[in-house]
Amino acid sequence: MFETVIGLEVHTQLNTQTKLFCSCATSFDQRANLNTCPVCLALPGALPRFNRSVLHKAVSFGTAVDATINRVSHFDRKSYFYPDSPSAYQITQLYTPIVEHGRLEIEPKDADSKIIRINRAHIEADAGKNIHDDSRSKVDLNRAGTPLLEIVSEPDMRSTEEVTLYLKKLHSIVRYLDISDANMQEGSFRVDVNVSIRPKGDDKLYTRVEIKNINSFKFITKAIEIEVERQIDAWEDGVYDEVIVQETRLFDQAAQVTRSMRGKEDSADYRYFLEPDLLKVVVDDEMYESAIEIPELPDAKRARFIDELGLSPYDASVLTSDLYMANYFESMVEDGAGAKMSCVWLSVELQGRLDSSLEESLVDAPKLALLVKRIEDKTISAKAAKEVLDHLCSSKIGVDEAIDKLGLKQISDSSAIEAIVNDVLSANQDKVEQYRAGKDKLFGFFVGQVMKASKGSANPQSVNEILKREL
Amino acid sequence: MRVDDELLSRLEKLSMLKIDESERTECIEQLDKIVSFVQNLSSLDTDGVDEVFAMNQSATALRLDEPRSSSDIADDILKNAPLSEDSFFIVPKIIE
Repeated sequence: MFETVIGLEVHTQLNTQTKLFCSCATSFDQRANLNTCPVCLALPGALPRFNRSVLHKAVSFGTAVDATINRVSHFDRKSYFYPDSPSAYQITQLYTPIVEHGRLEIEPKDADSKIIRINRAHIEADAGKNIHDDSRSKVDLNRAGTPLLEIVSEPDMRSTEEVTLYLKKLHSIVRYLDISDANMQEGSFRVDVNVSIRPKGDDKLYTRVEIKNINSFKFITKAIEIEVERQIDAWEDGVYDEVIVQETRLFDQAAQVTRSMRGKEDSADYRYFLEPDLLKVVVDDEMYESAIEIPELPDAKRARFIDELGLSPYDASVLTSDLYMANYFESMVEDGAGAKMSCVWLSVELQGRLDSSLEESLVDAPKLALLVKRIEDKTISAKAAKEVLDHLCSSKIGVDEAIDKLGLKQISDSSAIEAIVNDVLSANQDKVEQYRAGKDKLFGFFVGQVMKASKGSANPQSVNEILKREL
Repeated sequence: MRVDDELLSRLEKLSMLKIDESERTECIEQLDKIVSFVQNLSSLDTDGVDEVFAMNQSATALRLDEPRSSSDIADDILKNAPLSEDSFFIVPKIIE
């Protein structure tokens, strides 16, 4: 039996207004090379000036993962040639990163909880983008020099389930802190996976292979499974030492294989040294005090939803997995809607009706809260509320307005229902007699007739009670 | 450390430069001289000197996160690039 050993490197793009070392804006969907300047194009003589906000966000992240914040850290220079990096080096933090020795707790299905250690998180500059034509390449340096926080875990994960839980937790923390958009498809949350295998019970770490270029949770799982299979096959065929080498591989989605990135190994000599264009990075007291004031994190929010609002652990997890949804939910509860009802109507009914994101929905939190309250005060039935919600999702209309328009107001007034019941009973004297003679099944018939006569707006519970009494 | 032909080949690779055959001997001699000169530093006693020692002990200045831009700069730079098109820099095809 083999055990899988996995460590992750996550590059998350910090959502600052400007780049790491210059005042160029960090927006990319503009014309190529618009957001560039002598600093991020590395023209001779241009010097980097460190973005205060990057440091602040990095310290907040460190706080969120219980890490050591290095009040003094340094930048290092990593040299390599590639057209997306005009300076031919990357400014990063190899020797003394801003954040070290953190931890993150995950909850796998068959265990109570597990700690995944975070080795470090360091600040570094991103590269530009290349577009490859048939005969040439086009270089866009709008992204060159944007700030990244690279978060490196220890090789503490043993399954793809743990990997997914770790990434989801990390993702939500970053979003709660509002330090990154963390959009995997757009590349603001990029994951590199380090995978190795070993016989179960063995403590040694064997050769790790790095897989790059995976941009969804689903593909991360797939890439790991495929790579593990390759390594186990090599072991069992007795060619592990020859075939499995420390290298970077790319995941090829179409072919469902990982492929070696040729020729990188022998040229990879980054000649790291202390970045000479920057002095040491110091987090002063004022910055430190401000940056460690972080908002409530997913775990704390989840615990509060369970303890104070009486939600199930599952529901609380669903709601807190996304900050926008959690805030939406809380705002409904503040508006006076019941917690459990709010949870169902948000996470099941509304989410099930959405084509796009919750942010873009026509139904905002005050509207959905009002809808829930209209069910709770028995103005409409839950069934009618679904119809109202359909309507709210497709037009800009108020809740009460929609209820009126659709004629769905529920009749709970017992005298009104009594009148309908009496009408139905007198119109069906023969069936009343059969029922009284013991044909119990006819009760459903009477309920149906009353509901029909009220056009579905009678409160079914009241109808049942009154019918039983009158019969 | 001696600079020899093998080291020069490695340096060529790292720096993406090609040293012409006719210049190799001279280049090796010059690099060797530079390395010897820098080796003077090894005679200094650096015990007790922090590895991150810098002449200036103050912290790096922090810049406010406020964007400033001017498309003139990008235009000027693109104009001076050997090849550009649709505001992209054009380079020989990069083979991954």
